[in-house]
Amino acid sequence: MSAKLKKSLLYWLMLSPLVVVILFPFGVMFVTAFRPREELFVFPPRWWFSEFRWSNFVEMWEKTNFGQALFNSLYVSIAATALGLLLSIPAAYALSRYRFPGKSAYRTFLLMTQMMSPIVLVLGLFRLMVVLGMVNNLNSLVLTYAAFNMAFTIWMLQSYFSTIPRDLEEAAWIDGATHFKSLIKIFLPLAVPAIAVTSIFSFINGWNEFVLALTMIRSSDDYTLPVQIYSQVAGRYQVEWHHVMAATILATVPVAIVFSWLQKYLIRGMALGAVK
Amino acid sequence: MAAVTIQNVEKTFGTLKVIHGVNIEVKEHEFVVLVGPSGCGKSTLLRMIAGLETISDGEIVIGEKVVNNVHPRDRDIAMVFQNYALYPHMSIFDNMGFSLKLRKRSKAEIEKKVNEAAGILNLVPFLQREPRQLSGGQRQRVAMGRALVRDAQVFLFDEPLSNLDAKLRVTMRTEIKALHQRLKTTSIYVTHDQIEAMTMADRIVVMNAGRVEQIGAPLELYDHPGNLFVAGFLGSPSMNFIEGHFSRSDGEAVVVTEAGTRLPAPDLADAKEGQAVVFGVRPEHLILGANGVEATVEVVEPTGANIEVFADIGGADICAVFFERHLFEPGEKIGLGWDTGKVHLFDKESGQRI
Repeated sequence: MSAKLKKSLLYWLMLSPLVVVILFPFGVMFVTAFRPREELFVFPPRWWFSEFRWSNFVEMWEKTNFGQALFNSLYVSIAATALGLLLSIPAAYALSRYRFPGKSAYRTFLLMTQMMSPIVLVLGLFRLMVVLGMVNNLNSLVLTYAAFNMAFTIWMLQSYFSTIPRDLEEAAWIDGATHFKSLIKIFLPLAVPAIAVTSIFSFINGWNEFVLALTMIRSSDDYTLPVQIYSQVAGRYQVEWHHVMAATILATVPVAIVFSWLQKYLIRGMALGAVK
Repeated sequence: MAAVTIQNVEKTFGTLKVIHGVNIEVKEHEFVVLVGPSGCGKSTLLRMIAGLETISDGEIVIGEKVVNNVHPRDRDIAMVFQNYALYPHMSIFDNMGFSLKLRKRSKAEIEKKVNEAAGILNLVPFLQREPRQLSGGQRQRVAMGRALVRDAQVFLFDEPLSNLDAKLRVTMRTEIKALHQRLKTTSIYVTHDQIEAMTMADRIVVMNAGRVEQIGAPLELYDHPGNLFVAGFLGSPSMNFIEGHFSRSDGEAVVVTEAGTRLPAPDLADAKEGQAVVFGVRPEHLILGANGVEATVEVVEPTGANIEVFADIGGADICAVFFERHLFEPGEKIGLGWDTGKVHLFDKESGQRI
């Protein structure tokens, strides 16, 4: 065995407790989701199930109104991402291309907004939404998620935008492009990696967000996935754990797959933004 | 094609003035090179002509039109950038055709023009590739091609060869010059390389610290530099400067150095007895001879084509270029002479030519 192999085996051995701790909840989620209901609380506990109970998913889908919650979550995450980007791209462009008074103060301000936990702001935001008449309206989540993400997306985009040579836009102007056209034809196509990365972040933030969704949304028809799943557990006499876990798998696995698939872009995008 | 007139142009960044009232006239069809050390304002001036920098004061006229407040796209100029600024996400064909596409020319016309330019620049096999698949020299040619398809009034070049290796630079230099002789488009070319300036220009504008030092044809500037800066900037190895005082004795004009060495000098009417001057002579104008001024050889550098000899002449350093292969030993005494007609005298205080 080569020294290198030995070394990496040793490292993996040392890391394995951590791996177990991290994977354990996923393992429980997985076996519970596929278990027949009768096997949930047998004693002594069994690690594996007697059969793959796919019907858990079908039952869960119907019983928990999962489709509606999925749609709500998709709507909120996509709309918040789109709105956030629509506002962040011009802001990031201005920060990276123009000199204006208060520029560094503005950047610091953006950073400072990140220091406040959303939980601190929940009450205030709730009252704001009451005033706007938007309580129990998915668009209240779209607005708040977009707002919370913007500081991050602006920073991220700005650092990437600064790596796109200004010469390219200048060359386009000289070639006869208007400012707007050079943005559309030259700048934005080159900024796609950064825009993709920030959209993923923004999307996942919206997808996972719980506290604001729980606060703003009242009717179960408007629940997003995290709240919907939570509602299957909280305040019930009997928790259908196999349904809860089936819902959790459906809510997390697709996103995890997309996330890992986009990981290479993510790392490239972040590295490109960081190293000028 | 159009003439370009730059009148009393100034540029300030905040409180920092980087260009102090520059006047340059570029005639139609002319190839003018702006040359100077880095930070002298030559690139800024070019960007002002292009419309990429605002003009703080003065006027820039292209053709008949004052363009101070005209957007770059309406100035009808083409520019080649130092880093080429090719659009990385477009094919070479699209890169070159972009300007025509923006002007809503027909597909057939774009194709014809791009193919024409690609033919001139030997780019035809690469038209469907992307910029990153090309070598530095090829990218450089694409940047040229992008300017060529335009039929612009003026071509601007911003140090287009500085990212190429030495050999390619020489080849491209010749290609650009040949291209200009063929197309005769008014061109303004910025470089810090005096050899590029000398070889390519119809006229050279030497700039320093935001001011124009001298304007003229390459050989005119080389033979009659107006001041110490121009004299020292043009030529490689650069002109030898030796400080001293002008004196006429026994009907002969000399410059007496601090160490008392007497250097034969031209008897210029404007030179006053005892005036503090800088004596300037180009390395290739030094002649080896027994009756010359004595010098001690310090370093000998054979380049192959010629021999560069660095020597001490009365306490001052001097460099001589010989085309014969004199392989002196360090410490050897040699006699250096010169034709006083080829000696330049500058007033020490003002730096101006006497």
